[in-house]
Amino acid sequence: MVVEKTIGFEMKNLFLPTILGVVCFSNFLFPFNPQTNANLKSSNLEKENDHVAKPAIRTTQAETVRKASEDLRLGKEGMRVGAAKLLGKYPSLQSSVTLVGALDDSSALVRRAAMVSLAEHSSNGHPLYEKSLVEKVFSKLGDSDVEVRREVSSMIPKLISGLMRGGMEITEINGRKVYRSVPARLRTDLFELTLRSFLDEDAIVRQNLLKYHPYLRVDLPASILIRLLGDDDSGVMLAALDRVSANADHPDVLAEIGRLSKNPSKGIRLKVIDVARDSSRHHAGYRSILRSMTKDEDLEVTSMAAVELARFGERIPKEVISDIKKYLLSSRGMNSQVTTILYAVSAMGEDGMEVYLSLTEHSSSRMRAIAWQRYLSMNKTLDQSSTWMSALKDRDKGVRDAVIVSLRGRIKDLNADEVGELVASEFADVRIFAGQSMVLAEEEILADYGFELLIDENPLVRSTTLRAFGMRRPPGWIAIMSKSLLDKDYDIQRAAMDALLGDRELGVEALLKYLEKNPTARISSLAKSELYRLGVQP
Amino acid sequence: MRIRNLLLLLIFISHCLQEVLADQINNSEYGIRIMQLLRSEKGTRRYPDALPSLLATMNEETTSRFDTDPLYLSDLTDERLMENPILYVNCDDQPNLEFSMEERDALRFYLEQGGFVYLDAGIKASFLGSDLGHSYAAWEERPEVRELFDQIYPDQPFLPLPRNHQIFRTVYKGLPNNKDLKIEADQKRLPETVLDFVEKEKWPQGTYSFVGLKVKGRLACVASPICAMGWGKDEFGAWIPPISFRIRESADDFDEKLKLASFSGGTYEVVREDGLKDVIYSESGHRPMWVQEPKGRWRIFKYYSGEEISNYAHAFYTRLGMNVFLYALLN
Repeated sequence: MVVEKTIGFEMKNLFLPTILGVVCFSNFLFPFNPQTNANLKSSNLEKENDHVAKPAIRTTQAETVRKASEDLRLGKEGMRVGAAKLLGKYPSLQSSVTLVGALDDSSALVRRAAMVSLAEHSSNGHPLYEKSLVEKVFSKLGDSDVEVRREVSSMIPKLISGLMRGGMEITEINGRKVYRSVPARLRTDLFELTLRSFLDEDAIVRQNLLKYHPYLRVDLPASILIRLLGDDDSGVMLAALDRVSANADHPDVLAEIGRLSKNPSKGIRLKVIDVARDSSRHHAGYRSILRSMTKDEDLEVTSMAAVELARFGERIPKEVISDIKKYLLSSRGMNSQVTTILYAVSAMGEDGMEVYLSLTEHSSSRMRAIAWQRYLSMNKTLDQSSTWMSALKDRDKGVRDAVIVSLRGRIKDLNADEVGELVASEFADVRIFAGQSMVLAEEEILADYGFELLIDENPLVRSTTLRAFGMRRPPGWIAIMSKSLLDKDYDIQRAAMDALLGDRELGVEALLKYLEKNPTARISSLAKSELYRLGVQP
Repeated sequence: MRIRNLLLLLIFISHCLQEVLADQINNSEYGIRIMQLLRSEKGTRRYPDALPSLLATMNEETTSRFDTDPLYLSDLTDERLMENPILYVNCDDQPNLEFSMEERDALRFYLEQGGFVYLDAGIKASFLGSDLGHSYAAWEERPEVRELFDQIYPDQPFLPLPRNHQIFRTVYKGLPNNKDLKIEADQKRLPETVLDFVEKEKWPQGTYSFVGLKVKGRLACVASPICAMGWGKDEFGAWIPPISFRIRESADDFDEKLKLASFSGGTYEVVREDGLKDVIYSESGHRPMWVQEPKGRWRIFKYYSGEEISNYAHAFYTRLGMNVFLYALLN
């Protein structure tokens, strides 16, 4: 490349006087030809650019793949590795065939690189589909190199569509062509290989086989499952636990799960709870395992086992409920496990209420919010403010909001002390709630506290109370609304206008008076259109 | 006189704020509350469990006590901003990084009064485009972040944090322990090529590409490629979601071969740690193909996935996240 460029440059230099001469002459003949001027400019630019290295010209994809395929077949080991890696960037049948061919290379490095590139083709949306090629790839589950086996085992889901294709074959019997269907299942030797691979010496291969064998429609024999449930590697053990359901009624599997329920690893024990819950429909023994796990030394395990039993409708002993309470109280906020337990406590009915009540004191605001919501929804004594008043003193607005949503519309007949407590709250949202409760409050209470809320510092408290006044219409309400129309706050004006519109006689009259005096006020145009809708000409 | 009074008032406010922050730090009843910017609760969030999981892990693995429920702020003018010492922002979760003048003022005031801001996904290599699930070690903040902070601190740029910075070793030092990677004495979970690249180039000594901004001599804001993807755990304590590795691999003849190999996509420049630029070759709809490094070396990108790789990445990102939050708390 470099040599060519040097020659080109020297050639140009050699003929430069002649070229320039021709250019000058043609310029002399055609002085106003823009095309010629442009050519001259570009020629000068080219001359300048010749000093800067030009990027090399890239080959076509077909040429790149052809060259890499050649290198992969004939090059030295390092070159073969490079070619295998490069072919991963060009998904096509040709490069796939070449890469599959390299899976029998004598060098493990080349085989690895080829397998990684085939996986790359799949990831980029070009999986192998030709059955014979896919079978070749899958057969590498028996490769001597562990990396190759790992890569194949993790590729199983991507190989399935090609591997499990059914089809048609033509055989000749006594000179006659016979068409026979080929079933969509693994070739016998590959099936045997899969069974052997469940017990591969590499833990990751074992784990991948456990995860993906259903894709291959290869059942996991109970004897192998039992061996894998006792595997040294926890990853394999967890993957095996996921596969219990198919053999859940096998007595040896049940015994093995019972043994694992005492495994020193908490993760395994939690997984056992999951398995025991799902398998309990196959054998009653799994419920016994769950019951025994409610005595686990770890409170999280105890709680999980207990809530699963509660979901089955079993009554949970007092001491276990106390353990659940202890666990939830000691947890430092919500995580998935805590969330599961927290919601599942509802299944304990009356006993669950006690747990929720204790959690209303939890340090986590999300936990307190859920506990309050659940507690109030299960509680039948909402008419007693002592049940919920403390919730409205919570430091977190999210908790208070959750409680107010649960209370709204469910409480009536608040007495003066209770309303007084709400009105005196430091939180605006609670005072808004107090304003809303004025709708149902006794007249005396409305008179005592309503006016206090009407002069609240928070405009939302004022507008909410004003709306309550509009609904209750206590003596003097027209005057209050008329004055409120003069408020600076639009929400207040709007609440007053809505209230006045609700009374076709006195209210509308007051509104008309206001419009007469304040025809250009902010609320006036809206008030006029609302009056038109009522058939009143302002 | 007026100016003096104003100054006295400012000093008083600042003193009060510092006391509030100190109170929060020592708040033994509830734990320290981390704030997270969440413009809208309705939008799709990439890793909603990430921060709570990280905070729970910090509670488990250190003596610190964090409230595992982040305090979500939708606006930086929220008065609660001044009540808590650390603000976490996942830049990928925001519809944009445009802040009103009031919010920028609040942010400046917060930083000047001792607050710390962690901009996760505050670094994002240009070739990633709208692809949110990738973390790539570029060494400069994303343009939106630069634009935002240019308006707050026009003369103060983000600077790369050196590998020996304290932030990378506040609690954990180095990469996750290899014992987790060993199946048997002579066998590791990760392929040798992957482990070698990770240890030497991707995350040397457990560090990553971070840039930081100092305010009054204190590191007050850091930006990193997305790390939250490595913090989440499911109910069995298993890491979610799966993470794969992008590894640079070479071969005998790549320096010549990749120069000439067929390519029809676009190239992107990405700033390296040394300030030079890598040129990334990427085709639309595909993962990046290869890289031309400034010293003339060409390497190809290969992608490795699997449970063991994912677990390793999660362990790394979680340790890194813990280091950042505890650094913020202690400095």
